[in-house]
Amino acid sequence: MPQLEVGGKSYEVDEDGFLQELDKWGRDFAQGYATIEGIEGELTEEHWKLIDYIREYYAQFGIAPMIRKMCKDTGFDLKKIYTLFPSGPAKGACKLAGLSKPTGCV
Amino acid sequence: MKKNFHIDDFTHPGGQVTELDPAELSPLPPPYDKREKPPIRKLTDEQSTRMDASLDGVVAIGLTPPKSPEEEKAFIDKFLAGIEKLFSTDDNWTFLQPLVHTLEYCVKCQICSDACPVYVSSGRQDIYRPTMRPELFRRIVSTYIKKEHPLLRKIKDSDIDLNWQTLARLGELAYRCTLCRRCAQVCPLSCDNALISREIRKVFSQQMGIAPKEIHEKGSVQQLRVGSSTGMTPAALRNILEFAEEEIEEKTGRKIKIPVDKKGADILLIHNAGEFIAWPENLEAFAIILDAAGVDWTLSTEIAGYDSVNYGVWYDDFQFARVAIRQSQAARALGVRKISLGECGHAHKAGIVVADRVLVGDLIIPRESSLPLLEEIVLSGRIKFDPSRNHFPVTLHDPCNMVRLMGIVEPQRRILRKICPQFREMTPHGVENYCCGGGSGFAITQSTNFPDWRNSVSGRMKMKQILEAFQDAPGPEVKKYVCAPCSNCKGQFRDMFEYYDVWEKSGILYGGLVELIVNAMADLKKPFIQWEWH
Repeated sequence: MPQLEVGGKSYEVDEDGFLQELDKWGRDFAQGYATIEGIEGELTEEHWKLIDYIREYYAQFGIAPMIRKMCKDTGFDLKKIYTLFPSGPAKGACKLAGLSKPTGCV
Repeated sequence: MKKNFHIDDFTHPGGQVTELDPAELSPLPPPYDKREKPPIRKLTDEQSTRMDASLDGVVAIGLTPPKSPEEEKAFIDKFLAGIEKLFSTDDNWTFLQPLVHTLEYCVKCQICSDACPVYVSSGRQDIYRPTMRPELFRRIVSTYIKKEHPLLRKIKDSDIDLNWQTLARLGELAYRCTLCRRCAQVCPLSCDNALISREIRKVFSQQMGIAPKEIHEKGSVQQLRVGSSTGMTPAALRNILEFAEEEIEEKTGRKIKIPVDKKGADILLIHNAGEFIAWPENLEAFAIILDAAGVDWTLSTEIAGYDSVNYGVWYDDFQFARVAIRQSQAARALGVRKISLGECGHAHKAGIVVADRVLVGDLIIPRESSLPLLEEIVLSGRIKFDPSRNHFPVTLHDPCNMVRLMGIVEPQRRILRKICPQFREMTPHGVENYCCGGGSGFAITQSTNFPDWRNSVSGRMKMKQILEAFQDAPGPEVKKYVCAPCSNCKGQFRDMFEYYDVWEKSGILYGGLVELIVNAMADLKKPFIQWEWH
């Protein structure tokens, strides 16, 4: 399993950099990963709003929220999400939120 | 690149059997004829130490080399034990007959090669010929299973040197065929070379525990554990359905309660769960249509009862049977009259056709495609349509399992002819269609550089067909719609269109069939289809 250095700590990730040990996630992981994802500087309140929303939904239902629900519940449209996370909701926001890669025919 | 393939290229340890050359790939129409980047990413040095990519530089399963000669020998022995099982009636009663037929009757005429989109698109790479896997397979059988005399093998040219490298390449090669079965369709002797791909995958999975993670561990195993390969639990499903009901009301003004676990309903509708997560408009459209037509239907919240996928149909008979039984049990628990499958091609093959082999007693519940049901509703006049609402270019993608395997060709067309004034066919289409490129699990195989191969090689023919179908209005200013009644195909189109920037360059969106039906409903105030890339 590949390892990834994020913010001075080593994490187990899959081939595409998704965190494998979900319980290892911390805010420093998200902040450290932001640099890798090409997000400049500190994560803003808006970044955290989306990350926290995704993590809360995951804690409750065990999957990432569907994108349209994410948009509706956070008030961000898809364009805004791409501005915040250039790799998009699944490959960007969910990755920073420490979720594993989506599975199934999605 | 290597065109004149010799069997030693395949068995020789080290090196790479072939390298795809971007210049050799079959041409795409402009503006897609120029590509600046190499089509397939190289593995990193670190990945190369862990994963074997010595077939074509691409990784679907990515085996790790053995650490000792003993490990290598154990690996080969295990594989051969699996091959032996394929020829035993007890172990392989399901597919023994077509397997033997294909191995013994192929005369290597190569008619199938030109029918194979992977072979043609790749610039006619020998290793991708549909006959290549059976060729290697026959050699293995001749040398190691039948143990034919060396002289006979020399005369027959049926020798092969089996080492770890050969098997690692063969395992990968089994995942370079989308199981579209175009080769089987054109074979004058009814050999099914796609079946051989699947039999090889079976040995790797059933005997050796090797399969792409997305298909096995995160796929069928997860489906049997939590209910869906998406990881969606029944609680998540209910949450999503609530959201879908809200969306339906916002879009149509209709308050529709999506029926769940309704005992004694006429129809249990099973969607590919991908719809719930990625394309909720599809399940919403189904609900709107069935509600408007007064159909007595329900969804299930039982394990596998709300996810029609059955990935076993691509790689593993055991996983296949486990899922097929759970799905039928869900229907039996509700006492429905029949199961109707939503827009998912492989689920049609698995649930309607192949499941006949494993369901017995009261688990034999009628299982049908939803397409004829939709046709009946649309053509019956029960719902009023205004086709001018679909006044944009529409073409139809045929999921291989629906057309070639099952012959479901006309229902979807009769619907589109009625409600889409600018419907046009691709060439070829119907039973002669080309795969989207994501068949047999490829669309969900998202790891390492496999998506690059899928987008630039296995999907290439379909990409070309789509662009040609819309050549009268190629620019992005005219919005166009590829109707793909299959979640797997939709996933492939989403990835491939992103890869080639198709939405920006050509304005082509993809979606299901039911969305077009609802979009044409005369009494809806707003269009149902939202022209946003997703």
